[in-house]
Amino acid sequence: MKLDSGWIYLLIAGILIVISLIKDTGKTKKAFVTSAKVALTVFPVLFMIFVMMGFLESFVSKQTIASWFGPNHSFLGIIYGELLGSFAMIEPAAVFPFAGFLKLNGAGYGAVIGFVMSAMLIGVTHMPLEGQLFGVRFMVVRNLITFLLILLMGIVFMGVL
Amino acid sequence: MKDSSSLHAGKHKNPWVKLIRSALLYIAIALAIWGWVALFSPAHVSDITKTVYLTFSKVIKIIIAVTLGIGLLQVWVTPEQISRILGKEAGWRGIILASTIPLILGGSLFVILPLVKALREKGARLAACIAFISAWSGKAPLLPLEIEFLGLPFGVLRLVLTIPFALVTGLIGEMVLERLGGESPKEIS
Repeated sequence: MKLDSGWIYLLIAGILIVISLIKDTGKTKKAFVTSAKVALTVFPVLFMIFVMMGFLESFVSKQTIASWFGPNHSFLGIIYGELLGSFAMIEPAAVFPFAGFLKLNGAGYGAVIGFVMSAMLIGVTHMPLEGQLFGVRFMVVRNLITFLLILLMGIVFMGVL
Repeated sequence: MKDSSSLHAGKHKNPWVKLIRSALLYIAIALAIWGWVALFSPAHVSDITKTVYLTFSKVIKIIIAVTLGIGLLQVWVTPEQISRILGKEAGWRGIILASTIPLILGGSLFVILPLVKALREKGARLAACIAFISAWSGKAPLLPLEIEFLGLPFGVLRLVLTIPFALVTGLIGEMVLERLGGESPKEIS
């Protein structure tokens, strides 16, 4: 029988909770509150992403996804992945399920890493805050350099995986 | 005006209200998509239901474990602690720490950006600040989820490559910004 890796992760989390409880009950209670907040943030987003994945699966053919993000389009595929990620506006936790969906539907590793990294680091929704905190020049330079280096990372991923 | 002040008060008084509101929004969007399909293409409803059910049952244990882990991490390793460590370090060691330590942080860019701003004000150099933001994308706490969907080699390679990636974005970013004359135009506050 194949062992479900989910149980292993739960077991590890359980052990850590016990250790934390022994060390400091108050802090552990705080941790549970944080966990509840994270769960409340993550689950609805995941629900939406999973519905969207089902939707795309039904209405967009694998060939279409593969033709945009597929390994044959290597270099452009990375850029398309990055553009998708920059405008995706999704929680980090939802990035991986959607990236897995792209991979399953024929996207290449270059496009997948482009999507993952830019969804975390470039997201257009963060730009106003970044500009306000650090100045527009910082925001533009950081995002441009990040975009270019993700491209490089995509090339490495295509070569290695 | 009224909106922003009530939002501000909500942030301090009850963060749950905001969380629940955005949770309901996402659920509503999901149900709207579902409803649209049910109306215009009923044959596909079962496909979507199947995808949602299968994906959720595949990851529910991992997500619960990750959620619990992030909770523990947030109380035992706070971003403030990390910024204190980094605040003390100057030069190369600071940049290397900034490219590695944030790997274990949770949260979104909306949390990380103000934190990095605080680091900058404490005197961290630009390269360390940019490296910090990039390194945060390593997202080690989410690694179980990443492995489940994209495989072990992908997850490990990405985590390992994030370190040089952060280092290089930091150094190039600092070089370019200094040549342009710093990160300003200073914001009007």
